[in-house]
Amino acid sequence: MAPYILRRLGQSLLTVFLTVSTVFVLVRLAPGDPAVAYAGPLATTEQLDTVRTQFGLDLPLWQQYAVFLRQLFQGDLGTSFSFQSPALQVVLERLPYTITLAVSAILLTTVVSVPLGVWMARRADTARELSANVVTIAGQSMPEFWTGTMLLTLFAVLVPILPASGFSTWGGLVLPTITIAIMQIALISRMVRREIVMNLQAPYLTVARSRGVKESGLTWRYAMGGASIPVLTALGTRFASMLNGVVVVEVVFAWPGVGSLVVRALETRDYPLIVATVLVTSVLSVLVQLLVDLCYPLLDPRVRLGKVATS
Amino acid sequence: MSVIDRPSAVTAQQLAAAGSTRRRRGSRLKIWIGAVCTLLVVLPILLANVLPLPAANSQDLSQRRLAPLTDGHLLGTDQLGRDLLSLILHGGQVSLLVGVLAVSVSGVIGIVLGSMAGFYGGKIDAFISRVLEAQLSLPLLMMLLLVVALFGPSLPVITFVIAIAQWPEVARLTRSLVLVEREKPYVSAARVLGLPRLQVLIRHVIPNIFKQASLVVLLLLAQAVLLESALSYLGAGPQRPFSTWGRIISDGQDYITTSWWLVTFPGLFIVILVVGVNLLGDGLRDRARRRKGAKS
Amino acid sequence: MSGFFTTNIPVPDPKAPLLDVVDLQIELITDGGVIRAVDGVSFRILAGETVTIIGESGSGKSTTAMGILGLLPRDLAVLSGRASFQGRDVIANPRIINGVRGKTVSLVPQDPMTALSPIMSIGTQLEEAVRLRRPEFSKADAHNRAVELLDQVRIPNPAIQLKKYPHQLSGGMLQRVLIAMALAGEPVLLVADEPTSALDVTVQAGILDLLMELQERTRIAILMITHDLGIARIVSDRIHVMKNGRFVESGDVEDVVNHPREEYTQKLLAAVPQLGPWDGDVAASPITPRIGERS
Repeated sequence: MAPYILRRLGQSLLTVFLTVSTVFVLVRLAPGDPAVAYAGPLATTEQLDTVRTQFGLDLPLWQQYAVFLRQLFQGDLGTSFSFQSPALQVVLERLPYTITLAVSAILLTTVVSVPLGVWMARRADTARELSANVVTIAGQSMPEFWTGTMLLTLFAVLVPILPASGFSTWGGLVLPTITIAIMQIALISRMVRREIVMNLQAPYLTVARSRGVKESGLTWRYAMGGASIPVLTALGTRFASMLNGVVVVEVVFAWPGVGSLVVRALETRDYPLIVATVLVTSVLSVLVQLLVDLCYPLLDPRVRLGKVATS
Repeated sequence: MSVIDRPSAVTAQQLAAAGSTRRRRGSRLKIWIGAVCTLLVVLPILLANVLPLPAANSQDLSQRRLAPLTDGHLLGTDQLGRDLLSLILHGGQVSLLVGVLAVSVSGVIGIVLGSMAGFYGGKIDAFISRVLEAQLSLPLLMMLLLVVALFGPSLPVITFVIAIAQWPEVARLTRSLVLVEREKPYVSAARVLGLPRLQVLIRHVIPNIFKQASLVVLLLLAQAVLLESALSYLGAGPQRPFSTWGRIISDGQDYITTSWWLVTFPGLFIVILVVGVNLLGDGLRDRARRRKGAKS
Repeated sequence: MSGFFTTNIPVPDPKAPLLDVVDLQIELITDGGVIRAVDGVSFRILAGETVTIIGESGSGKSTTAMGILGLLPRDLAVLSGRASFQGRDVIANPRIINGVRGKTVSLVPQDPMTALSPIMSIGTQLEEAVRLRRPEFSKADAHNRAVELLDQVRIPNPAIQLKKYPHQLSGGMLQRVLIAMALAGEPVLLVADEPTSALDVTVQAGILDLLMELQERTRIAILMITHDLGIARIVSDRIHVMKNGRFVESGDVEDVVNHPREEYTQKLLAAVPQLGPWDGDVAASPITPRIGERS
């Protein structure tokens, strides 16, 4: 188990390192004066000079990188000039909203796609095949911003059951969650179906059936057990692409998370804020996947105990 | 219930025939519906310049926000009096262009890097795979927004950015395909003959996996269109005069209660195109899989 | 589906043969068309005896065994004919097999490495098998019985092994565990589908010894499926030679081996490699043992 954990940790660190370096390179490569990027388009010459020294923008690239890394470790990601406060702080303040949305979307996705996938996998009759196809294709093809807007119009404006925007009540969470979940359910339920079908054909299942294990037990305890590992991994890897959906949905529903933050920062050219958002969400994403991967040993005894055959 | 219940009514022969026809019909249906949907969207877009439409940018403030089917405007007009259908079709030209270009670039990068990783193995594979995995674990949209913010929302930048988002998926598939091919006898035969590895890769392995790899690239076209429309919805897409679908939708969002068509129709175009491409790709993949199964 | 198990299963007839197969036909649906894998075979097994079906790959022997047990994929296999377990025909009424599997008849599968769920411990799976047969057992009872079963199959330190996972055991040990699981159902008939094919030759002997010993002790009947004539000779009372879905020859094992009537059987016997002197003079050497023969 230990080598597995170390390897995963290494991969995560590498990813973070690559992200950080890419961001650094991008900001330096971009046309225009990086000082303006940091200080804002309305900065005075003195402010620009301050920023230049602060971030070492006059120094050779190596040293700039070192300064950049040092500041990262100290938690200094620059100042957001549109908010007039440290960028990291601004991002962290709004992060809980995004996390809430993401978590509820994951929950809804899991609760729907697992039973749905199992149902679709059990038998190969036309009804199930058809629904499998429709669910997957339709769900994947509707862009979240469109689905969100349509749902918003239908359920919050025309038939005002749910609040149109905001976070003031829990009800405001419903529509954004559903919007994100639609696409995720389409993909995950398809995956669940595929895994269950594969496991249902596995030899150990036939042998279990020969012992008299009932069909329901076979599906839920045996096949699902085997399928749970890749499905869990998929949920973890989908977290990153789910955050993409979260960004868009936050804009549609005016949800005060980091997604709507980054879009606003785009409009005001508040680069420190954009950079901070990118870094924070990347780290969050890597962390989530690391946690999911660390759950592997808990589920799969082959990873937990190593593949040494004793006898 | 089990067929054994009806020993005389149905023979295995009939069941087999039914089963395989159903499977064949299923994938053929997908291909047809997929092709129809795709063409339904793509053809008008390609023909937009020759169709009798008002120019996309002719604003006529006296004709603001007309409902569909009024005054010769098939899908209505937007808040600046521009014909919606024309807007959608011309915007679609840009979206498609960006999509096709992006997918081509990511296809090339992905196939090259993926086959190198699969074929040469060792450190090259380790390096490419690590980068691949790293990128797949990141929320790309934010990074893409950063790039667009830094380098401007021009067509080349957006195309490049979408291509970067998609190459890992192509590379990953290509890599596993190449890994399988590498074990096949013809590869060892070629090596024994003394052919350099690069030549074996380019002349023999890649042509063999090309079909399967291109299938993924087709499916990625749908994803590229979705990504481009998301970017343009968020304001990071091609700027005027090239408003693409996402932008049209975000512009029209404010008027949704009074002029629902501004949001619905562009969205429908996106959905139909993406559904079409997905179905087409799925159906082709099913058919290829069945052909492979029957052969072996 | 309650009442499903308790109401419709007829009571076993103690006077009927354990297994009575009459004109069994099995058709399989494959991508290449419909194949008649089993084309009218008939045989029976009485209490305490070992019947072997021997044939090469593709002869239909495994299909016969799996088909009778209802383990072929439901939508890909069509069975006709009669297969009765103690008088209860499972082809006419497929639901009966649920009351038979794991209780009267048990399966010992071919590949021990893939025959168990990799994420559950041996103990969990074995105890489950016990409680399927004896729902009235408590967890502690089931555990004790599991230990007892492992002991019966000659596994050392049974209590410790119960906690292990399948990937931690060798093929031979796993096969013993699978036999233990089969025994958990307290069967009167054991269907052994090439139980030693996936094992090393040295381990095979141990497993066969175990099966023989069990049969001696408990008078359990065995339907052995194999392609190995040597095994057939060691374990069987009667043997059926199968080719292309049909029995080409049947009879007591010694009769068939020593006086094969059919050409196919003769070829099968001749194909067994023989030990002999290095210079190849096989027939003349008086000390040539043949595989399966005790020297």
